[in-house]
Amino acid sequence: MKSMKNRITDGLLRDNTVLSAGMIISPAIICTTSFRDSLALVYAFSVITFFADIIAYLIPKKLPYAVRVIWTSAISSLLYVPVRELTMMIYPESVERIGIYFPLIAVNSLIVYQTQHRFLNLDFRELIGNLVFYILGFDIVVLVCGALRELIAYGTVNNKVMNISMTVSGAGLPFGGFIILGIICGIYRKIRSLLSSGED
Amino acid sequence: MNIQKKRTLSWVDIILTLASLEVMAYFYYGVRTLIMAGLCMAVSFVCDWIAVWFMKKKYVPDDLMSLADGLAIALMMPASIDFRIPMISCAFAVLVGKNLFGGRKNIIFSPCAVGYLFALTSWGNKILMYPSPDKKLEISAENAVLSHSLSYDFNNAGNISISDFDLLIGNFRGAMGTVSILLLIVSAFVLLFRKAVSAGAFTGVIAGMVFMAFIVPVSESRSESLKYIMATNMFLFSSVYIVSDKRVAPLNNYYAFFYGLFTAVTAYIIILTTAKENMIPAVSVIMTPVALLFKSIQLKADKYASEEKKGEINEKQNY
Repeated sequence: MKSMKNRITDGLLRDNTVLSAGMIISPAIICTTSFRDSLALVYAFSVITFFADIIAYLIPKKLPYAVRVIWTSAISSLLYVPVRELTMMIYPESVERIGIYFPLIAVNSLIVYQTQHRFLNLDFRELIGNLVFYILGFDIVVLVCGALRELIAYGTVNNKVMNISMTVSGAGLPFGGFIILGIICGIYRKIRSLLSSGED
Repeated sequence: MNIQKKRTLSWVDIILTLASLEVMAYFYYGVRTLIMAGLCMAVSFVCDWIAVWFMKKKYVPDDLMSLADGLAIALMMPASIDFRIPMISCAFAVLVGKNLFGGRKNIIFSPCAVGYLFALTSWGNKILMYPSPDKKLEISAENAVLSHSLSYDFNNAGNISISDFDLLIGNFRGAMGTVSILLLIVSAFVLLFRKAVSAGAFTGVIAGMVFMAFIVPVSESRSESLKYIMATNMFLFSSVYIVSDKRVAPLNNYYAFFYGLFTAVTAYIIILTTAKENMIPAVSVIMTPVALLFKSIQLKADKYASEEKKGEINEKQNY
């Protein structure tokens, strides 16, 4: 039986939101063309998901599943409004570049699906712990992806020139994002299987 | 000759014809083309070997087709391009275009087309600027004077002034292996007679281009439109080495014809409407679902035919 500490940190390593569960792939690929865009995405995703799930925890569990999902989505959509305004103040160009995927964060599968099936069955302390690490799992992947793609595609990281002699602008396109994320996913799963076999 | 030996010889035929194009490229541009071809083939081989090793499979002679893919990609590049670009394109073609989908026995896309498309999207400005064939290039190619290809001029102006002789021998700006029209025609015949490429697909592409050139000519004259469209935009090269690739085209010539036809028609329409150069490799990747559809139709038809035959035999036996 896994210890509580292990269960809480699952979202970061064993059951990473993007690399293991394969959730929220579209924003992770389309929006991570630069480190700055990734920062904007991470900021919005973390704030909306965290507070939406905390508030969703207060919704009576006796309500039917569909009603709970609708309420959760409504709450996250309301949270989206101030988060967008704040993000526009800090990362105005990034919000424009991210486009339609920015409002779609409000109904990401971590809020709509994972919350109902996993988080709401936990007690409050465990919920907070799980939530933090699941969000961290997404954030780290998105930031690494953004940094890598910006470096390979444009030779910069966070708009700082990195002295790369050769750039591959295809890495900034969606197919490049798929390939880079796929490689990261493969490496992650290999490391996870090595660690799991080591523990056995 | 058993089937295994037949397959092994196909890639030899393809490499031999590509090598003849490489000789022409060396004649025009110098030793730089040989270095580029060698590097591309080496990268393709190493990447393919690594991928086969990772998949825990045995490296067999048929896998050496990756050498042909590497050489084809090198020949689709400008002679003055930075060596790293075709090398990365070859690595991408072999690792992503070929082995990511299961390797030699599960090829979905033509690796050459995938590699070229990757290069086009990643380094479009560099890939579409060519040196003149009048002057041999230094190995560094630093002082090469680059300009747009004949395909660009034809697509945008609709008419070009070049003698038929220069057109046939490839004495014009373009990708180094795709401009020697006479040699490409000979290579096409050799590969068709050696059954190394799909005759149905090749016929379909030619038929499609001829049809479109007559119905919607780019130039004022239909015959000139047909002549120039066949000589430019990597048309012949792609028809032989990409669209007619037996690994991708439907096995049955009847279905392969329509696959080639749709590819040619779509590419022609894109060239006519957008004036973009070298669209056939891109269209062949887009047409992959069509090829897969035809292959699945063919498999189902073969399955029903064999079931019917079995039923007939059983009936005869019972009778």
